[in-house]
Amino acid sequence: MVDWQIDLIKVIFIWVWALLIAVVMTWVERRASAMMQDRLGPNRAGPFGLLQPLADGIKLFTKEDIIPEKARKILFVLGPPLFALPAFSAYAVVPFGDKIVLGGKEIILQVSDVNIGFLYVLALGAIGVYGMVIGGWASNSKYSILGGLRATAQLISYEVPMGLALLTIVLLYGTFSLREMVLLQQGTFLGFLPNWGIFKQPLGFIIFLVAAYAEANRVPFDLPECESELVTGYHTEYGSMRLGLYLFGEYVNLGTLAAITVCLFFGGWSLPYVDMSKFLGPVSYGIASFMVFFLKQAFFLFLFVWVRWTVPRFRYDQLMGLGWKALIPLGLVNLFVTALLVQLTI
Amino acid sequence: MPRRPVVKKEYTLGERVYLVEITKGLGLTWKHFVFNIKASFRKGPHTVPTCWQYPEDRREIAPIFRGAHMLMLNDKGQELCVGCGMCARACPAKCITVKRGKRAEGEEDKYAGKTYCASFEIDMLRCIFCGNCENACPKGALVLGPGYELAEYDMESCIYNKDKLLANYHEAKAEGKLKPPKKPVPVEAPPAPPKKAAAKKAAGEKGKAAPKKEAKQAKKDEKGKKPAK
Repeated sequence: MVDWQIDLIKVIFIWVWALLIAVVMTWVERRASAMMQDRLGPNRAGPFGLLQPLADGIKLFTKEDIIPEKARKILFVLGPPLFALPAFSAYAVVPFGDKIVLGGKEIILQVSDVNIGFLYVLALGAIGVYGMVIGGWASNSKYSILGGLRATAQLISYEVPMGLALLTIVLLYGTFSLREMVLLQQGTFLGFLPNWGIFKQPLGFIIFLVAAYAEANRVPFDLPECESELVTGYHTEYGSMRLGLYLFGEYVNLGTLAAITVCLFFGGWSLPYVDMSKFLGPVSYGIASFMVFFLKQAFFLFLFVWVRWTVPRFRYDQLMGLGWKALIPLGLVNLFVTALLVQLTI
Repeated sequence: MPRRPVVKKEYTLGERVYLVEITKGLGLTWKHFVFNIKASFRKGPHTVPTCWQYPEDRREIAPIFRGAHMLMLNDKGQELCVGCGMCARACPAKCITVKRGKRAEGEEDKYAGKTYCASFEIDMLRCIFCGNCENACPKGALVLGPGYELAEYDMESCIYNKDKLLANYHEAKAEGKLKPPKKPVPVEAPPAPPKKAAAKKAAGEKGKAAPKKEAKQAKKDEKGKKPAK
């Protein structure tokens, strides 16, 4: 196979995989939340209700597509794709496995190993916010614009601590590429701990995780769309598949953030203490590394759901206070200490 | 009333950091999650204690439940209804229409009484399930049964005819959900009160067990009253 064919297959595979994760996540969210609240959740469509996302999709596709009369039509149409596309694109730099040898050719399981790795992810995450803000603005509705404004304020507040947390990781590994970071996390640390980012940067991990929840608009930081105050915030006026794109983009976003967390702090596809490549064949090693990565990602996806149905929403001032008064100072201190340690040890 | 002073709760450091409390909360939801997952994989109906999955799991209905009406048969399979129309008169929603027919020769094993109801219609859209018809019936022929799935696709099929009411009976009998027959409560002979008072008393006791004698008394009273009106 030629290189571009391999790339094309990788792109299609990761696209389908991201879609699949998002689809299954909607089901997991509903069933898991139900189980946590002593309900059953949708369990009629297919075995265990697994076809429920399909039914939801069909419903959204067949609904009437309404554009409000006083909405800004171009921006209104532009909003959902602007939100969903960056979410998908961010998957491009995620290393979802080590490498696989097929037909004597070594294939790296990553769409493209960009050397600015997660800067790209951060940039795309920031573009995704435009989808929300533009959608909220174009709807010409008070709830929508409040949601959009909140999205802006919240995302500005939480991009900073997230960036600070990620900077410490860069200091630690000396690279921006996600694949190289994962490779640097193999082996052990201090003799007994796996050489993972979380053990070297526990504070950075917590800051990153909190900021990731805010970035993904998840409870407890779902202020842009809080149902109880703003109806559903920035997508109040949307219906049919435009709404579907928003909801879908959110879950794809979750998948990306979970994948980035795994890459930065949990050693990506590598297992602790065990080097899989030593006793597995070249093909089975590729598949195993992919499965390990997926399981770790699945845990963080479940954590998103789990936290959502445990923690109530923050008040707006609490949210801002947490961002500016707690996370950013902590992030700065963390950055300073890390820089000092790195300087001293080298 | 003096206002209670608002006391601002002082949070400890552990509470202000959020993380400890959030972890506790996660533990709580996890407990529920595991419990319900385990329960939902157990075999059998109604395994998750908070949920009745309706078409499969059904709650037990009380023996005095007032559901869809049925026209009763006696042990010999004869229709008990004599078509007197007491139920129609007792009905506060006026949803019952009865037409009386005379039993012909050779129909003795079909109808218990000398007369029978030629047609019997209950408009279920208007029925309020009060059970007055059941209490008024002198023969115990009309009973509110255990059926509660009364949804239909059109309004016409909500008007139950005689066939439907008999079918209700057979269905309930097949499922063994017929109420035990009411025993007539022995009542001391009333001390011959004036007619109006007796009527009132009977009306008052209709809501309860409605013993047969009382019902009969009420019937007589009402019959006696009617021409006066």
